[in-house]
Amino acid sequence: MIFQKSTSKNVVEEEMPQYETPAGTERVDEVETVVGPSVNVEGDFASEGNIIIKGTVSGSVHTSRFLAVEQGAKIMANVRAGTAKISGEVKGNLKIRETLELTSSAKILGDIETRVLSVEPGALLFGKISMPGIEGAETRSAKPRVTRRGEETAEAGE
Amino acid sequence: MYVYLYDNFLRQKKYDSVIKAVEVRLTDYGIAGKILRLNNFIDPKQIIDDEIKRGAKTVVIVGNDATFGYVLSRAATCDCTFGFLPIGPSNTISEVLGIQTGIEACDVLSKRRKESLDVGWMNNRYFVSQLHVLPAKLKVVYDERFAVTANEKMEVIVCNLQPFYWKKDKKDVSEQVVHPQDGKLEAFLRPLTKQGWWGYKYEDPSVFPFEEMEIVSDSPFTVEADGKVSKEVKVKIKLAHGKIDMIVGRNRKF
Repeated sequence: MIFQKSTSKNVVEEEMPQYETPAGTERVDEVETVVGPSVNVEGDFASEGNIIIKGTVSGSVHTSRFLAVEQGAKIMANVRAGTAKISGEVKGNLKIRETLELTSSAKILGDIETRVLSVEPGALLFGKISMPGIEGAETRSAKPRVTRRGEETAEAGE
Repeated sequence: MYVYLYDNFLRQKKYDSVIKAVEVRLTDYGIAGKILRLNNFIDPKQIIDDEIKRGAKTVVIVGNDATFGYVLSRAATCDCTFGFLPIGPSNTISEVLGIQTGIEACDVLSKRRKESLDVGWMNNRYFVSQLHVLPAKLKVVYDERFAVTANEKMEVIVCNLQPFYWKKDKKDVSEQVVHPQDGKLEAFLRPLTKQGWWGYKYEDPSVFPFEEMEIVSDSPFTVEADGKVSKEVKVKIKLAHGKIDMIVGRNRKF
């Protein structure tokens, strides 16, 4: 037993953090992009698979699948993703197709557009939240515009 | 017709028994063929091309990861099917290809399950196993869309077939590994941060699957691809799809 070789080399697969996606969404774990700490990414950062961000990203972030922003990570970009779990800082607009989860350490400066939103106590948020599903929400927001335009035309007529 | 390329290290006495057993097994299967021994002065592409002209259809590489990389990085464009008989230590590619080490590899070879493998293209040569850029101040541009930089030095490892093993620090007992998928190259970026007076510490690696990338630096940096070392200022790495026809095992990892 003393000379027993160390365990199989596939240890990481067990040790790598497993991100739980919200129920009802499927995740394909085949391709995974990881932005490690002390790494800076600039430009249009797009990936076909899941993205895990631990460092800094500026520009734009786009994935059709899962996005995880870890504590200490900074994103200065507009974000588009399938589902997202945010524990870091985001300066920019978030457009999430399915579910957005904000943990207690999350800091968001920007507008959010998502279908399902869950916010843990302690999360900081500054921006507009819009979620599809409320009937009449669009017409209500559209009404003042119509009147304004009407006023404008009336003013122009005078 | 089969041609077998033996690595030079197989001349050592300790491999005699394995080689003999393999040769007997190959004769049993009726796939024995011409044996050529590689050395530093032989260009694999030239001898493979010569053998193809003489009617060879399958070229089998006999050796370890280094042999595999040495032959295929030079002979990737040759029009033949490649096989692999892993013998001896440091055989990690065989695991990915689903080929057992030693005499069991003959069974895989006889079954002739063929797959097209992707090859990495670096500046003006191919690489099959791994490309390693030693720590330097680098800027990595992916698919001409986004750039990755680090505050200090950075090490880059691009994996095609050879898996990449890393340790978090010296105390880390378990080696960590990620198996590359076929179809895309995988780049592992490990930034180094200063620790203490003259020590450096590796940070957690970043992983980027890609098809094309460019590594740029102000000063020359060392690149090691399939055992060949060179100094470069700019490296363009691409993926060439389905370049090599390879006999693989049932338990392959792609």
